[in-house]
Order: sequence, then C-alpha cells, then structure tokens
Amino acid sequence: MKRAIILAVSLLAACDILPRDPAGTSKRIAERRSFTVALADPTVHEAAQVRTLVHEIERRTGAKAQWRPGAGEALFQQLDDGTLDLVIGRFSAESPWAMDVAFGPPLSTTGTKDAPLQLKAAMRNGENRWIMTVERASRAISQEARDK
Amino acid sequence: MSDTSLPDELRETMARAVRLEYWNIFWTLTIIVTMGLVLGQSQTMKTAWIEDTLGLVPPVMFLIAAHMERRAHRSRRFPFGFERVNGLGFFVAAVALTAVGALLLYNAMMALGSQEHATVGSIVILGHDIWLGWLMIAAQIYSLIPPLFIGRKELPLAQALNDKLLHTDALMNKANWLTGAAGLAGVIGLGLGWWWADALAAAIISLDVLNDGIKALRSSTAELVDGAPRALSSTDLSDDAQSLCDRLSAEFPGATIRLRETGRLIRAEVHDTHPPGECRHPRHYWPEGEDRSWRLAQVSFIPPVGREEGN
Repeated sequence: MKRAIILAVSLLAACDILPRDPAGTSKRIAERRSFTVALADPTVHEAAQVRTLVHEIERRTGAKAQWRPGAGEALFQQLDDGTLDLVIGRFSAESPWAMDVAFGPPLSTTGTKDAPLQLKAAMRNGENRWIMTVERASRAISQEARDK
Repeated sequence: MSDTSLPDELRETMARAVRLEYWNIFWTLTIIVTMGLVLGQSQTMKTAWIEDTLGLVPPVMFLIAAHMERRAHRSRRFPFGFERVNGLGFFVAAVALTAVGALLLYNAMMALGSQEHATVGSIVILGHDIWLGWLMIAAQIYSLIPPLFIGRKELPLAQALNDKLLHTDALMNKANWLTGAAGLAGVIGLGLGWWWADALAAAIISLDVLNDGIKALRSSTAELVDGAPRALSSTDLSDDAQSLCDRLSAEFPGATIRLRETGRLIRAEVHDTHPPGECRHPRHYWPEGEDRSWRLAQVSFIPPVGREEGN
C-alpha cells in the first residue's frame, strides 16, 4: 500500500515535469515575468474574451503582458522567430497557418456556417509547455474551448 | 495426395495458423485505433502508427494465400493449384514494407533537416488537462504487448509450415519492442524539449521498416525468378534444399541438380541422367532426418541430349 502511494505520488510529480519547451519560452517568461502578445486584427480588441484570456494567462504565469503592435501574417513570422509569444485573432477553422503555428482551442465562433471564424490564440510551434498553459487558460475562461 | 495445393499433413497446423492470424488482425486493429486516437503532430507517432497499420499486410496476405491453398482446387486453368500464391503474398508484403519504409525515412529526414518542432498539446479527461504526450506514451506501451505474444506463437507454426510470409510477420512482431522503445524515447524526448528526438525516433523506426522490407524483397524475388530455395529467416540457401541436393547428388553422381521453390514446396530437376528403373514417389528422395518430405513435390529427370541422339 505504502509503495503504491509512493508510486502514485511519483507519477503525479512526473506528470508536471513534462512537457518542456525546446526554446525555453515558459522559463523565459517565468524569469522575466513578462510575455509579448499582439492582435492579428485590431477589431478583436473589442472582444471581452481577449482581455479575459490575457488576464488568465497573467494570473497563471505571474507575468505581465507586453502588448506589441502589428497585424496579419508578419505576426506569425515573429511567433516563429520567437520574438513574439502570443497572437490572438479570428482565424478560419481551416487556417493555412495551422501547420506553422500552434492554435489554442477556440474561445468563440462567428461568421457563417460554411466559413466559421474562430477567436483563438496562436503560439510558436513545439513550445509545448507554453502551449499547454495557454490551452488551459482558454478552457478556464470559455465554455466553447472546454467543449472542444 | 491432396487435390488442393496444401499437403494433407499441414492441414491442422495451417488451421491453427489461420486462427492465430485472425487474432493477430484483431489485436493489430486495437493498436491502430488506440494509436490513432492520440497521434497529434508527432512524427514518431505518425510513423509508428503507419508501421502498425502496415503490420496488417502480412496477416491479410497470409489469410488470402491460405484460403486459396486450402480451398481452391487444381483446374485446367491452374493445373499446379495455388501453391505460389503465398510467394506472391510475400512479394506484395515486401514491396509495401520497402516503399513505405523509404517514404517514412524521407519524411523523418526532411523533418530533421527543416528543424520541425512538433506541437503536442493537451486534452481534457474527466475535467483534468492532461498533456497528450502521456497518452502517446501509454499507447506506445500498449502497442508493445500483443505483438510480443503473437510473434512467439507464430514462429513455431511458420517453421512447421515453412511459410516465409508467416515467418517474416513473426520476426517483425518479435522485434517490435525495438520500434516501441524508439517510439517511447521519441515522445519522452519531445516532452523534455529535445525537438530532434521526435524526428530521430521516426527515422529509426522507418529504418527498421525499410530493413524488414529489403530482406523480404530479396527472399521473395529469389523465389519468383526460380532461385534455389532460401532459408526462412535469411537470404541464404535453406538447409532442407542443401540436404536434398546432397542426397540426389549421392544417388546420381555426375548429374546436375537444380532446385527451385514454389511456395512452401520444392521441385527438383536432375539433369544429364536417366530416371531409375522402378517407379518412385518424389518423397522417396527426401533426405533422412526430420520428416518434412511433403516439401518435395516433384523430381524430374532430364537425360543427356547427346547420348539420346546417338552422337
């Protein structure tokens, strides 16, 4: 019984060890206590869920959001370069960027049934711990993200 | 003598092998579904999943060949029955393994070359956010277990039936732990932040697939071009064939012995000699030892041309 408890506790502890980020995004954010975020299109700023998501990430990481200007595809390139940590915007469900960046679960969906637009966050590909942090935050603030 | 291609002595063993292959397909399908549910963007997982899916080819080809060998009768159109269907199945499985192995290796090298960073996110299970990598690791561990047991059971049946298709499948299953270990290392490495671990593990798995494919291709093409009978597990000449050749050479000194394989059966040609006076069944020529005389389906004698024509 004692061994089973030790094993269970060890496994739970191990669960939190992985994943880590290849480029160390989460570690850097924890050390500098800040992360960079930009909006893919300025109209998104009006959506309440954008602010709520950023506040939730700030709460979970203990870091402050540093807003960056910019729009469109150039932001994805900055994500890929590691000069930007988060891009929030309305993206098509079949976004051509899906293989180049990692999208979080959709916070809300607008547009038509044939061409839905999902409000969601995009992160740098492969930064799995950081991606998981944003995914958790998205699910915490949105029922649609939880259902996805 | 059986009217189908399968020797009567092998019917019971063949029935056991057929039952085992149905179980093999069932367990492989459970692995394919389990792995498919947690694939994500991991190159390792995709490669391992394709390898598991390819694992269906040998048992399916074996079942098709076994059905034809057991049920299809000799006819005017197919006077030799369907004893070579197994060899054809072996060739198809070998081509599939080689082609997919090469493709997977190319993909893995491209992923390494372009420094692709695989994203493995999280999912919600019973209200808890869990990293998908943990489920991948669980699926990889599960995928190790059934092939290990099936491979062990297949091996003696493959040897009794002298079935290369079944034997290749048995060896692939037995060696599956290597693929599983590479897959586990790939996912854990990815979790540790080593982006290259994923593509490297995928490359190791695809090399294993390619190696299996090339070995099977060499052996199966040897049979299709009437090469001498090959051993079950390698491209060397089989011991059975070597003993038979020695036995025929001893009885017909100076004759040229040519052996070829049609499926699990051996056919012999004794050149430059006259047939013996009395009528003998081909099995008469099977060397002493283990009773596998069913393997020798035909012994033909070709007299020397010069003496017949009186030159």
